[in-house]
Amino acid sequence: MHSIEQTIEIAVPVRTAYNQWTQFQHFPRFMTTVREVDQIKPSLTSWTLAAGPLRGTFQAEIVEQEPDSHLVWRSLDERPGHRGRVSFTSTPDGGTALTVRMEIGLNGPAGLVPGVSQVAGRVVAAELRHFKEYIEGLGQESGAWRGTIRGGRLRRVESERNVSGVPCWPHG
Amino acid sequence: MKKAPGDEPDEDLTVTPPKKWAAGVPAVAHALEYSLEETSARRTGTTLLTMNQVDGIDCPGCAWADPAPGHRHRNEYCENGAKHINDEATTRRIGADFFREHSVSDLAGRSDAWLNQQGRLTEPMVKRPGSDHYEPISWNDAIGLMVEELTSLDTPDEAVFYTSGRASNEAAFVLQLFARALGTNNLPDCSNLCHESSGYALHETLGTGKGTVSLHDLHHADLIFLVGQNPGSNHPRQLSALEEAKRNGARIIAVNPLPEAGLLRFKNPQKPRGVIGPGTQIADRFLRIRNGGDLALFQAVNRLLLEAEDARPGEVLDHGFIDADTTGFEEFARHVRGVEWDDVLAATGLTREEIEQVRDEVLRSERVVVCWAMGLTQHKHAVPTIREIVNFLLLRGNVGRAGTGACPVRGHSNVQGDRTMGIWEQMPDSFLDSLKEEFGFDPPRAHGYDSVNAIRAMREGKVKFFLGLAGNFVRATPDSTVTEEAVRRCRLTAHISTKLNRSHTVCGDTALILPALGRTERDVQATGEQFVTVENSMSEVHTSRGRLRPASSLLLSDIAILCRLARRTLGDKPDIAWDRFEADYGVIRDHIARIVPGFEDYNRRVARPGGIQLMNPVNEGVYSTGTGRALFTRNSAEAPRVPEGHLLLQTLRSHDQWNTVPYTSNDRYRGIHGSRRVVLVNPDDVRGLGLSDGQRVDLVSVWSDDVERRAEDFRVVPYPTARGCAAAYYPETNLLVPLDSVADHSNQPTFKSIVVRLEPARVGAAQA
Repeated sequence: MHSIEQTIEIAVPVRTAYNQWTQFQHFPRFMTTVREVDQIKPSLTSWTLAAGPLRGTFQAEIVEQEPDSHLVWRSLDERPGHRGRVSFTSTPDGGTALTVRMEIGLNGPAGLVPGVSQVAGRVVAAELRHFKEYIEGLGQESGAWRGTIRGGRLRRVESERNVSGVPCWPHG
Repeated sequence: MKKAPGDEPDEDLTVTPPKKWAAGVPAVAHALEYSLEETSARRTGTTLLTMNQVDGIDCPGCAWADPAPGHRHRNEYCENGAKHINDEATTRRIGADFFREHSVSDLAGRSDAWLNQQGRLTEPMVKRPGSDHYEPISWNDAIGLMVEELTSLDTPDEAVFYTSGRASNEAAFVLQLFARALGTNNLPDCSNLCHESSGYALHETLGTGKGTVSLHDLHHADLIFLVGQNPGSNHPRQLSALEEAKRNGARIIAVNPLPEAGLLRFKNPQKPRGVIGPGTQIADRFLRIRNGGDLALFQAVNRLLLEAEDARPGEVLDHGFIDADTTGFEEFARHVRGVEWDDVLAATGLTREEIEQVRDEVLRSERVVVCWAMGLTQHKHAVPTIREIVNFLLLRGNVGRAGTGACPVRGHSNVQGDRTMGIWEQMPDSFLDSLKEEFGFDPPRAHGYDSVNAIRAMREGKVKFFLGLAGNFVRATPDSTVTEEAVRRCRLTAHISTKLNRSHTVCGDTALILPALGRTERDVQATGEQFVTVENSMSEVHTSRGRLRPASSLLLSDIAILCRLARRTLGDKPDIAWDRFEADYGVIRDHIARIVPGFEDYNRRVARPGGIQLMNPVNEGVYSTGTGRALFTRNSAEAPRVPEGHLLLQTLRSHDQWNTVPYTSNDRYRGIHGSRRVVLVNPDDVRGLGLSDGQRVDLVSVWSDDVERRAEDFRVVPYPTARGCAAAYYPETNLLVPLDSVADHSNQPTFKSIVVRLEPARVGAAQA
């Protein structure tokens, strides 16, 4: 396991930064290594990354998500496996400190590449800068998802538990 | 292309050992061989290379989901899908000459395979009262006959409209709209026969009738159960998902009375390791369960899990989830702790050790998916069985998380979508109110007939008019003798069809064959070329666009036929723009967008690559059960009483068969060649019943009425099915399934649970 930790300060309020972070499908617009993100369901996303000739797809489960606070993920693929936490905290001047803590399992061929974890750390740092430039440039989030996830499962408040936006009759 | 067979092929049974793996190179060879017999190399290429592609034809063969756009193979189909689509794309044609040559009674004596192999229907045909021949009729007059019949009914409830899973969302929506505007909810469908029990049980316990998993969930599950299903023959593309899951480290437990080849090993013909290598082992454990023993199995596993929790409190069950999101746990737990091992072992035919090994697999797995098909749904206690599977999933929080969930595997491509569009005899008031608001008429509220009740009503002379939107009603339904007599009591039967089948030969006083465009064909209407939309088993709604020139210039689309019938039957009361529907299917979708929840902005969203992923409420933390929580249930069932000297028969399909249509008499995975009139019996039962290998027997079913149901002249084949059980092909043995032998709650016929005795064949005895 290799650990990475990167923090960046962003000149927008926590709510704005958090809301923008939940718009995973927008990541390819400003991140250079993220080519495609598919939100399969609230707690399951599929990511296609590319760097030079290398290309890879993985699925990530969102294990915990708390609006304006944090998000914890883990990859469902083992090659290489990774997990991490994105935290959002307010800075004294009303901005956001965004911290990514990440652990990458480098068993297999990836682990043999010298300096691979340093490279991964630089990639994460660069992509966070891209995120900062994007949301600061917009000044306002392009969308928001305000759900709460605990133990990999979307939590609903009591009043929402029987509300369904889909056909609710039995399907044979 | 080969010419259509003139005579029925000779029956010459040979039996070889069952295969231990599915697909591989032989699957490709058989698919191409059949395709090239039916049509040209060019048409084969067109159909196969556009099948299940983003802008191509949705394979009508099954409802399995496609990988995301950009991740599909160039050849995204299976052997059976290839056969099925080229069965439709065949260059064989039948028209007036064929029907002059063959009377209706001649055709009624032909096999399902022979009827199918004659080719595509090309012009509307009518059989008039008293006549034994179909003759050509213009579309105008054919629709006129139906209008005349419909407008002379004493009540609209004397009409029945049946839908098969071939129908698109748009056709299904138009059909239910027409039926309700006419004044009836008589909308039976093929779901009544295949997964009605799943829909009932899931809706009751989870608040949704649909499966909760995506392909990604299967790929990343730790443990997958395949219960009562045969993916190698009935949904072969599922094998690719299972192979991916295995590659990611999943374990698979198969539970089935027969050790089907596709449950054991898969050789993926798209991968080098599948072509020249040993392939992928699918099932890590195979439980050869008795027919209908699944409820007892899952109750026993649930009891074992509760006991494991007793031994290690807080480590086995997901108490956080159970407390926050479910109700009924305590009552369920008390009930299932009382399940007796003797009963479990008798019902399942398994050993306690085998069931304890299942528990151990479960305890090692964080993410579990349960897949099932008709091996579960077609029993008297099918609904309790599926409810018990939900209990099993709830215990360890295996719903609503990545890599977990319930996966009823549906067979026909749009069977799920047709129901979403309102093809159901009991639609809720919310849907009917939306129809009223949108179209300005008051839909009938009294529930209509499902498939079994439609047959009962026909038998009692309460139905005068029957229209089948695709399908083969008389062969898909149980109690064939009763059903055929019932259908013959109708004044008019009409079928919207692409090919000939037995439902055209067992008909009312007046009968109509209404030849329709298939999925493979270009559909050009007044505003230009159209596409249709369908929903797969994983709730993805996407387009299907045909590429081939239609088999005849006289074919109409399903939608055109229904719109013309509706316009002429109803006039402008209510004022519905049937003409505009026919000219532009987008207009229909605009109405659907305003009526069916989740279809907002339908036209724009469905045109995107991959289409629309309908939300599954369970994955959104929503349980529309009334309490807002998932429901634990207490389930019990009386096992079918199988008297001494009898067996519990299940009907099943062969590998070379699609629904009611056998392509040949071969079933190569099970080693059956040259004949379908076989009954598969455990070798110990063959001996125990005093039978011999290859003996000719009649199958006689046992039911509480005094009617003798006898399927004549079958050959006994010793086969490794579970003790006390037997298997024979559907639809030849449907006549053994009593109409009143149905699943509790869902009214689904019990095709997998028929008590039979095997008697020396009368025919064989006469010949001897």
